Amino acid sequence: MGVEMGRERIPGFELEGRDEDGMDRGILTLSVGPQHPGSGHFRLIVKVDGDMIVEALPDPGYVHRGEEKMCEYRNYIQNIPHLERPMIADSCGILYPYVLAVEEICNIAVPERAKYIRVIMAEINRCIFELYWLGIYGIFLGHSTMFMWPMADRELLIDLAEMASGARVTHAYFVPGGVRNDLPDAFPEKAKRHLLYFKNRLKEYKDIFYDNPLFQARTVGVGILSKEDAINLGATGPVLRASGVEHDIRKVEPYDVYDELDFEVITMKEGDSFARAYVPWLEMYESVEIALQALEKMPSGPVRTKLGPNPKGAVGEAFKRVEAARGELAYYLVSDGNPKPYRVKLSVPSFREIPVMAHLLKGAKLADMPSIYWSMNYWPVEADR
Amino acid sequence: MGSVSGMLRTLASGSKHLAIKRFTLRYPEQKLKFVGDGYQFDPKEGVGIAGYRGRHILYHDKCTGCQLCSIACEGIAEAISMVKVDKQYKQNKKGIMPQIDYGKCVFCGLCVDACPFYALFMTDDYELAAYTKEHLIYTPDQLAVKPKYQGTYEIKIDELGAYHDE
Repeated sequence: MGVEMGRERIPGFELEGRDEDGMDRGILTLSVGPQHPGSGHFRLIVKVDGDMIVEALPDPGYVHRGEEKMCEYRNYIQNIPHLERPMIADSCGILYPYVLAVEEICNIAVPERAKYIRVIMAEINRCIFELYWLGIYGIFLGHSTMFMWPMADRELLIDLAEMASGARVTHAYFVPGGVRNDLPDAFPEKAKRHLLYFKNRLKEYKDIFYDNPLFQARTVGVGILSKEDAINLGATGPVLRASGVEHDIRKVEPYDVYDELDFEVITMKEGDSFARAYVPWLEMYESVEIALQALEKMPSGPVRTKLGPNPKGAVGEAFKRVEAARGELAYYLVSDGNPKPYRVKLSVPSFREIPVMAHLLKGAKLADMPSIYWSMNYWPVEADR
Repeated sequence: MGSVSGMLRTLASGSKHLAIKRFTLRYPEQKLKFVGDGYQFDPKEGVGIAGYRGRHILYHDKCTGCQLCSIACEGIAEAISMVKVDKQYKQNKKGIMPQIDYGKCVFCGLCVDACPFYALFMTDDYELAAYTKEHLIYTPDQLAVKPKYQGTYEIKIDELGAYHDE
């Protein structure tokens, strides 16, 4: 850095509308990120006038890994481990549509028991993810209890996932044609015990977080997203449902055995940061209910269709979407008849929250930025793929 | 606005935890118990057997040096390379066996799914920390050793809440 370098030439720090004598009367441009100042690996360029955000320009791409291109050089099975890397906290959720799409393109039948196991694992993973997110949301609002409690309760569910799949976080459990291994004999009983205890714990969350005046002061009425804006900007998942739109892929386009299970779509009409934090909490109840129902209904039988080591896809394309913890997650897969996919396209929920985030941050206070940003459920690694 | 009552309820809910057992696992002294004997795979049925996916175990008397595990790992982690072993085995004419670099392995277990001879399984051992990168490379002889990992603690749930206990 040269001595003569002025303040305005330092990247990410510049003043606009400066008077001739150098006094600033204008807008300050700040670069939040990309090296994790509480935003993930993601840069947010905010222009502030005093304390108010005039404009927010999200700048994704810092952790782009080329997942889609990588898929073209690996066969359908080898793609499994790296495809869960964009979102390891919800690794079943991000792998689910890929597995469904490969099954369609390779024409693989799935045993009935495997479908139930997948639903159970996907719902347990949804809770694992929501707790992780809730914990981080808490710590960025300065509520350290809210970090500790969900992180500890998450262990109950990680323990279940680890028992079934053999790994704590990156399960690599779903494969085209079912799941990798059957559940251990002790699993249903242990799962019921843990899930029922977890459901009771969730009730305490309302007392300590959602009824807490300190949490409410930071979130209620902050970053209000109207129903029309949510639809027009393409919001998805809990963000969309917190604005009062009843849209859930598990109901709209049921996959596997979701149409046989009884659950509700949670909506709230406020559309503020509080509602976006409250909807996932209510959804965790539904997830527990779905998992318990699936455990009851689960038939016995095989869990995996035997495949060759290198399954070939038929010429054609497949589009499958699921409701992951953050919203609608879709895979578009094109096959030219080779063991490797011709093209894989991921449509991830985090990427779709970017315009919503820019819309909500405009006109908000700078101090409300963490509250709005974390309520979006935005994960940079997933958005960049 | 019920901010005073909200504050009191918050405090009451938090102070309940003074009487509840601590959930933390005191790790190096207390170790988690896993189901089964590590992740295994039955190539006849084409389905795995549930278990923890830790460090691998290689059965020298079954490995034929077919390289299928190494091929499966290509494009995933490229952690497996085939190396010469000193001893001669009847089923392994080429005398090559997998060597695994745990600096690269992602513990997905797809190499275990690829082995058609029941020679490569996974174990409960996850304590693989080493001082140098070279120490993370496990030779076929090191992989043949059964790990000493012994975990006894698991999550217990009763009226005192959830906690780890033997």
